[in-house]
Amino acid sequence: MEDMYHADRAMSTQQDIKIKADKVQVYYADNHAIKDVDVEIADKTVTAFIGPSGCGKSTFLRCLNRMNDTIDICRVEGDITIDGEDIYDPKVDPVQLRAKVGMVFQKPNPFPKSIYDNVAYGPKIHGLARNKAELDEIVEKSLRKAALWNEAKDRLTAPGTGLSGGQQQRLCIARAIATAPEVLLMDEPCSALDPIATAQVEELIDELRQSYSVVIVTHSMQQAARVSQKTAFFHLGNLVEYDDTDKIFTNPEDSRTESYISGRIG
Amino acid sequence: MKTSLLAADARTKKRNAAEARFKAYGFAAIIVAMLALLILLTSVLGNGMSSFRQTYIALDVALPEEKLDKSGVRDLSVMSKVTTIGYAPILRNALLDALAAQGIETELSNKDIGNMISKEAAATVRNKVLANPDLVGQTVSFDVLASGRIDGYFKGRVTMESAALDGNTSPEALMIAQALADAGVMETKFNWNFFVWPDASDQRPEAAGLGVAILGSLYMMIVVLVLALPIGVASSIYLEEFAPKNRWTDLIEVNISNLAAVPSIVYGILGLAIFINFMEFNQSSPLVGGLVLTLMTLPTIIISTRAALKSVPPSIRDAALGVGASKMQSVFHHVLPLAAPGILTGTIIGLAQALGETAPLLLIGMVAFVREYPAAYTPESGLFGEASTALPVQVFNWTQRSDPAFVERASGAIITLLVFLLIMNAVAIYLRRRFERRW
Amino acid sequence: MQSLTLPFIAIAGLAVLGYFLAKSRALQVSGGDIRKLVSLPSQHALNAVLATIVPAVAAIFLISLYVRLTDGTGSWFFQFVVIGLAVTGLALSLIGIKTETRARTFAERWILGLLIFASTIAILTTIGIVFSMLFETFNFFGQYDWRDFFFSTNWSPNFRGNSDLGIIPLLWGTLYISFIALAFAVPVGLFAAIYLSEYAGPRMRAVAKPAIEVLAGIPTIVYGLFALITVGPFLRDYFAAPMGFGQSASSVMTAGLVMGVMLIPFVSSLSDDIINAVPQAMRDGSLGLGATKSETIRQVVVPAALPGIVGAVLLAASRAIGETMIVVLGAGAAARLSLNPFEAMTTVTVKIVSQLTGDTDFASPETLVAFALGLTLFVITLGLNVLALYIVRKYREQYE
Repeated sequence: MEDMYHADRAMSTQQDIKIKADKVQVYYADNHAIKDVDVEIADKTVTAFIGPSGCGKSTFLRCLNRMNDTIDICRVEGDITIDGEDIYDPKVDPVQLRAKVGMVFQKPNPFPKSIYDNVAYGPKIHGLARNKAELDEIVEKSLRKAALWNEAKDRLTAPGTGLSGGQQQRLCIARAIATAPEVLLMDEPCSALDPIATAQVEELIDELRQSYSVVIVTHSMQQAARVSQKTAFFHLGNLVEYDDTDKIFTNPEDSRTESYISGRIG
Repeated sequence: MKTSLLAADARTKKRNAAEARFKAYGFAAIIVAMLALLILLTSVLGNGMSSFRQTYIALDVALPEEKLDKSGVRDLSVMSKVTTIGYAPILRNALLDALAAQGIETELSNKDIGNMISKEAAATVRNKVLANPDLVGQTVSFDVLASGRIDGYFKGRVTMESAALDGNTSPEALMIAQALADAGVMETKFNWNFFVWPDASDQRPEAAGLGVAILGSLYMMIVVLVLALPIGVASSIYLEEFAPKNRWTDLIEVNISNLAAVPSIVYGILGLAIFINFMEFNQSSPLVGGLVLTLMTLPTIIISTRAALKSVPPSIRDAALGVGASKMQSVFHHVLPLAAPGILTGTIIGLAQALGETAPLLLIGMVAFVREYPAAYTPESGLFGEASTALPVQVFNWTQRSDPAFVERASGAIITLLVFLLIMNAVAIYLRRRFERRW
Repeated sequence: MQSLTLPFIAIAGLAVLGYFLAKSRALQVSGGDIRKLVSLPSQHALNAVLATIVPAVAAIFLISLYVRLTDGTGSWFFQFVVIGLAVTGLALSLIGIKTETRARTFAERWILGLLIFASTIAILTTIGIVFSMLFETFNFFGQYDWRDFFFSTNWSPNFRGNSDLGIIPLLWGTLYISFIALAFAVPVGLFAAIYLSEYAGPRMRAVAKPAIEVLAGIPTIVYGLFALITVGPFLRDYFAAPMGFGQSASSVMTAGLVMGVMLIPFVSSLSDDIINAVPQAMRDGSLGLGATKSETIRQVVVPAALPGIVGAVLLAASRAIGETMIVVLGAGAAARLSLNPFEAMTTVTVKIVSQLTGDTDFASPETLVAFALGLTLFVITLGLNVLALYIVRKYREQYE
């Protein structure tokens, strides 16, 4: 009976925990950038990180696929697990981790290669395709999922840098999807895009929720409200409040969250 | 396809191995570069340090009147008729006396004993006597140069084995030299004369010095500084501050970046054709050398000066114009002083390049054998018009000589050159650190 | 030349005189109240000095050029013209001093003129280079068939005449040596740049970067001596002789390797700039997909930087082809068409030096050929430079 209840609850609210962070601290040299962050991120959900500039939301996001490793002075403490496996375990290869946890960046950053090669890059380095046909299939599937196939199918050999800003960002999403990740991290993916391109990308994020756990950092509260089911509010390196998006935007518990949402800080 | 993050799969292992290999290539490249530098410096230092030391023989030389001044009236015009050939036996006798005094016995002929003394020594003593005729008739102490082979023996270049095969010396001579050194008559000591003496002929490596070369290089640097700095700064100011953006200034810009990459020997051809053949300036003169090096250095100075001018923020210009200064005043009163450290640094680096440049100087005749110290000005040949040589060319010159002792000289000259360059670069770095401004 | 001493002294004297006269005259016309003047006394003085010096000195240069071109000699007439110009300039500027005279504007016009003149010297240099070689090259081809020069495979100058002056063996030596130099310097320089910018820690960088810069500051004569006394004998004793490739210390290999060392800092600093110009976002994008660092470098950074790197290699090639001292001391003097890298060969630059030093007779083809060689060298390196600069410029625009 007890088990049934749990299973039922998990099914109904899709609360399978994908990522679990426990007392995470991040230091940049002597600067304590992230303090004591505990968070559980659910699978097949869009989780939004919001907060004023410099609150640490991007820093925390970059901890989830160990992109912070590339910065010499950055140090991470505490536990972050994905599917129960500690990603900062010395046995973990960040390369494998990043294949599993894809990332889309603030500014679209297609490689100066063709559209096809951009998407095929990940599958090639990870050896996901045994032959050209399989690779073609992965590329097409990824571009379709990123809602770019119709625009790009006739110009796969054209350079990725020749696309418009919104198309470039969707290409970057396709590129990230192509490695068959389980989690997709998005660091302000729409901040460099115009409103129409933003709407297209947001629509895409909503669809991606079917297959992935999506974590998105945004400075736009409206965007968080539109695309996410869960929202975490960061302030000065602390995770102030984490709850269902509806709750955060209608009835926040912490006064700081309320101030931010009503536009008084930030 | 669920895989654990905790166990690296085979493909990841392979990729990580490739990563390690790639990193190792990079590290190896750094090691190769550093090793090349190390071997280069060791080679030059190892070959050249000994040139700063030289073997001298302390001799009490009796200067007999009947040989040096038969008339006895100390008339210089008469005394100067006695050539160095007349002085050589006097020195040989002095050495024989020294051997006898030390109780060193030998089967060597007197001629071979005499050959232990440098041929330059007779000239040195003769000059001293002509400068002070009263020395004749006295016994005077001289420190005279030992011959190149004897000097080489004390520096390890000449060994008993090599001496046995050498027509210019013999193991016996080396043994006498060793005995003289043990007695304190012969001594290898710091050789200041290396920096002062002029070049010497092929038979006298022990007397060859850098005096003329250093002087020539100095003159050329003066010419380069006096011409290249003002012209370079003026043309940078025009291009950076005044020039309209049009085809003509575009052409100048492209032209300058190309000039910076023109092979230096081409500048030598230019110097030969324009300055010597057409303008008929004196061959081998520091003036022509300086002009050629000026043209070579200009692009370097212009490029760095423009960078320095560019780094002065426009707000400074606006501020000056805002109080009613003219464009020219804003540049000369405000922008130029602020850019001065950068300009100076660039100029010193340009000068350092010019100082080490060899190829163009070969073509304008600076390879000539010059023993006279060039004067900065003479009425006949004008400013910096006397034949001279230069440090890097002197190095080249010495590499072309047959006596292996010149290898040591050439390396020593290079060490001297490198020390000058080191000082110049150190000054440039100091200026940059001291005055660098971040806006 | 002596005839210039008098005019120079006169001009200098007049300028000093003009400075004080103009200053006092400006004060005089203002009646002691300098606020009445449109321009300050010092600006009047500057104007007078420039008006005295600039036209007169310009006249000296023009006259010297004229005298050289007409093969005449300087006469008292020219001295008179020069000094007359200086006096005129001085007098005009003094007469022009009134309260409302805009002396600053005049002075600034003189200065602007000087600045413009300075900036044309770069152009004049290029023209000088081209003409100095073009002229003698024409003379050369008047005496020697250009087809023999470009297509003959034999180089054997003979000062009694009947020389074979084919450039092909020289070009072969030049290209062979440059090829070895680049084959050594490009991988080493490129990998060094990659390691320094992508892998090395701050301490490693603090040691290795200056060391590589030191290599760049060493004059080529030092490399030449290094080739002559160290590398050459080493290669001969340990490689060429035991392997039966020859007994020569001067060789293509010697010159090539040493030139390679010289080019390492050149390649690495250019590549370093170019690699750093690749935006960090590019690297992040690749790393974020789970690429390793080396995969990122090989498949994203280097391809993105490729045009710039190609430009750098072309510049290095131009450097190698034009390099003189290393080949003079390390490569040898025998013109030879051979594949054996341990054999002595010679280059275009070596032959320019050997034909133009020592006794030269500017009427004989054996001397004049050096100008044709120089022009060929200039054209080749100019082509490489223009191409390289164009590629690099295009590349930089891409990321600006």
